[in-house]
Amino acid sequence: MTTALKTRNIKLLLLASLALVASMALVACGGGGIDEASNNDDIGVAEGGNPTGNLNISNWPLYIDGKTISDFDKATGTKTKYTEDVNDNNEFFGKVQPLLSQGQAGGRSIVVVTDWMAKKMYDLGFIQQIDHDKLTTVFDNLIPSLQSPEFDPERTFSVPWQSGMTGLVVRTDLAPDVKSINDLFDPKYKGKVTMLSEMRDTVPLVMAADGVDPTTATTQDWLDAIDKLQGAVNDGQIRQFTGNNYVQDLAKGDVVATIGWSGDAVQAQADNKNIEYRQPAEGCSIWSDNMLIPVGAPNPEAAYEFMNYVYEPENQAQIEKYVNYVSPVKGTKEVLLKTDPELANNELIFPSEEFTANCFNQVSPPGDPAEVTKVEEAFQNVVTG
Amino acid sequence: MKTLRQRMVPYWLLGPGLVWLALFFVLPMYFMGELSLKTGSLADGYQLTWATQNYTDAISQYSTQFVRAFYYAGTATIICLLIGYPLAYAIAFKAGRWKNLMLFAVVAPFFTTYLIRTIAWKTILQDSSPVVGFLKFVHLIPQDGRVLATSGAVIAGLTYNFLPFMVLPLYASLERLDVRLLEASKDLYASTRTTFFKVTVPLTMPGIIAGILLTFIPAAGDYVNSTFLGGTSQAMIGNVIQSKYLVINDYPTAAALSFTLLVIILAALMLYIKFAGTEALMGEDEEPA
Amino acid sequence: MKAWTWLREHAVLFTGILVIFYMLAPIAIIALFSFNDPVGRFNFEWAGFTTQYWQHPFAVTELTDSLLVSIRLAFMTAIGATILGTLIAIALVRYQFLGRRAANLLIVIPMATPEVVIGASLLSMFLVYGAKLGFGTLLIAHIMFSISFVVVVVRSRLIGFDRRLEEASADLGASAFTTFRTITLPLIAPGVASAAMLSFALSIDDFVISNFNAGSEVTFPLYIFGANQRGIPVEVNVIATMLFTVTIIAMLAVIIQQRRAEKMAEKREEEATSSVASLPA
Repeated sequence: MTTALKTRNIKLLLLASLALVASMALVACGGGGIDEASNNDDIGVAEGGNPTGNLNISNWPLYIDGKTISDFDKATGTKTKYTEDVNDNNEFFGKVQPLLSQGQAGGRSIVVVTDWMAKKMYDLGFIQQIDHDKLTTVFDNLIPSLQSPEFDPERTFSVPWQSGMTGLVVRTDLAPDVKSINDLFDPKYKGKVTMLSEMRDTVPLVMAADGVDPTTATTQDWLDAIDKLQGAVNDGQIRQFTGNNYVQDLAKGDVVATIGWSGDAVQAQADNKNIEYRQPAEGCSIWSDNMLIPVGAPNPEAAYEFMNYVYEPENQAQIEKYVNYVSPVKGTKEVLLKTDPELANNELIFPSEEFTANCFNQVSPPGDPAEVTKVEEAFQNVVTG
Repeated sequence: MKTLRQRMVPYWLLGPGLVWLALFFVLPMYFMGELSLKTGSLADGYQLTWATQNYTDAISQYSTQFVRAFYYAGTATIICLLIGYPLAYAIAFKAGRWKNLMLFAVVAPFFTTYLIRTIAWKTILQDSSPVVGFLKFVHLIPQDGRVLATSGAVIAGLTYNFLPFMVLPLYASLERLDVRLLEASKDLYASTRTTFFKVTVPLTMPGIIAGILLTFIPAAGDYVNSTFLGGTSQAMIGNVIQSKYLVINDYPTAAALSFTLLVIILAALMLYIKFAGTEALMGEDEEPA
Repeated sequence: MKAWTWLREHAVLFTGILVIFYMLAPIAIIALFSFNDPVGRFNFEWAGFTTQYWQHPFAVTELTDSLLVSIRLAFMTAIGATILGTLIAIALVRYQFLGRRAANLLIVIPMATPEVVIGASLLSMFLVYGAKLGFGTLLIAHIMFSISFVVVVVRSRLIGFDRRLEEASADLGASAFTTFRTITLPLIAPGVASAAMLSFALSIDDFVISNFNAGSEVTFPLYIFGANQRGIPVEVNVIATMLFTVTIIAMLAVIIQQRRAEKMAEKREEEATSSVASLPA
């Protein structure tokens, strides 16, 4: 046996693995990246694709019932992959941003985010415009109050998925007298209070509690409210800043009064009658989560098909029964009156004008991006105190 | 005399793995270092401006979370050592035929997902749980007190999650301990205590140090325990890095913070290697002939 | 008095058992609550015994999908990291070469780097290259952090290895490759197998690094993190308990098998010695 022959076999093995390494490295390294900013000068209208092809949707957890997707697939012949990978607007943005900045949607044809994030993504050029001619069902049935929101007055790029209110969610047995946001700062409930880690939900309500109109608030007003929160954190008043998981803490009784979302309260109440949504004395914040078609979406036709499908009152009613947020679809209440009158008469799902009289549309900090960032950082520093 | 070919063999063997580590460990560190010196924003892009103030700003602004991370990790490491040593000792010398089973129980938690285990503690420690009731009963916590969302809960979580990293190296060094030395000490009329502190502990020092490093390092960078078990004032440096990267997309600050954490930990490690060599961390080894 | 002495003598053992109890408590809770029949979405309060979730553990599609992603990822990680790490271990134990210290360092440092830093630095690089985050980036990251552990495990096996067997093989004219395949590999196989198992376990359990580099891929731990927001389904407990039980059985089987092999070896040795002894001098 010569040495040459001995080593050759080993070498071959190694060359093969080296090639493997190299090819994987190449796969990992494309072009582009975060150094290049993009803008929305050349945003097109979403078109093309096959209405019966594959459809990938990214939505928030527990935001659809178990049957709608399979019913939709059956009715249209589409193959839908529905992923619950949006847990937080910012976090989702951080996740998809590197892709979208290169014009890739990561296979998604629909993503669902809240108003302000929808606007932010659109301004960055990440979102396509929608073709109203292809969304006749949607625009026939969209409720008037949602037809021209501030962030997208003509609904050029967004279609509401569900709406909701941010207010107080409390344990009626453990914190019966919490009626306003200011009551959350009552030392009686020290360490038993949580607020939302979404800044635009929490801070405006705190400002309203201090008599500041959130819709005209200045950067300083935002920072003052954030200071107030910092104080409450330092005193141990606020136990945590949370996403949806505050409901679990309420159910356990670890927490007795929170800033929370209306739909969560309806769902939680079904399990525990002591959990209740209360319209704060100061009013509530109204928002919606919107379906968007990102740039590079593989199959916009199927996305349109899906949007129209969920805007059929019958189909919407099925979603609504499970989700319990405010439905953006006209005629849903009428369908539900026949099948589930209790739900149809719930103020949290079909709120009357009196119920939301004090409420304001969700607001963002004023000023240029640098100022917004300043406020966002200040809030984030309270959250990760 | 070895031929060139033969001398190349180790490099061929090392090649693929080390290239992988170079590409996906060293190179990323370079990019992170570069990113930490950039300025700009997500919308406008980032430019390399050698912004060293990223570091000074980040460190001065988040010194609390740095200190807290090292305090929590340090406390958890000490507790791990205090409860891990008796356990390792029991497994090595007292367990008899139950040795394998007890060793197995130590690694068992690895086989249920880290997150699920941590969340299980949330159930065990909820305000109305019997455990918390007991702690109140024996006045370890005040009557209106709680465990969740406190520093204690985070430290307990870290202790629990990283205990195996302490026990295993301790066990390995105790196992290798020559029992005759302990007997000799006894024969010379040393008390059990003296034997333990003068013979057992010094001889198992490599295991103790390895255990401390293996526990402290991951604990200091952890953010899972403080996320689930902590409250508003328990954020560790890991939470800040995570939120800077993934929530507010302030990449330069996030990179500066990560780099600082890395440097602090590597400094500690280098100090250790200087005294003990890399081999001590990777298990016993003689230089090949 | 006697009881006190007895207690003192066994104090260490009792402490040990207590600590083990502490380590297993959460697992017991997880297993217990897999049989719970919760009212509503939250599974934290005992509400009644049921086996319904054990009968349909894969009913939650999202959960099952994420589990499949994790298993696929862990499997590929185990293969990749085991090959790369084993080769390094062989080089480190068998050969004297220039740059040995540097190589050692390159292997130790990743183990000593906090996960959050590894995750963040990889993301920094992927961002610069504009890499598509997803399964590919996860696989890269998982193999990367597993390699060092594989090296450590395989290396400890190689060190206690009788090199004369290989020399004998070479003397009998076998090529290096044949020797490796027929002698070295079978002998270090237990080490390689446990290294592979370790990297599988590391991969399937990883949350932090994956959270940074997953893109839109959802692994099992990432699913749990998301599900925790709205209430973790009982099926998660069922699957966690299943994973745990399966590994326990597998490991016990290995232990028993090893014991048996050892006993057989002892017996054979005894027989050999006695037969030698019985030979006429």
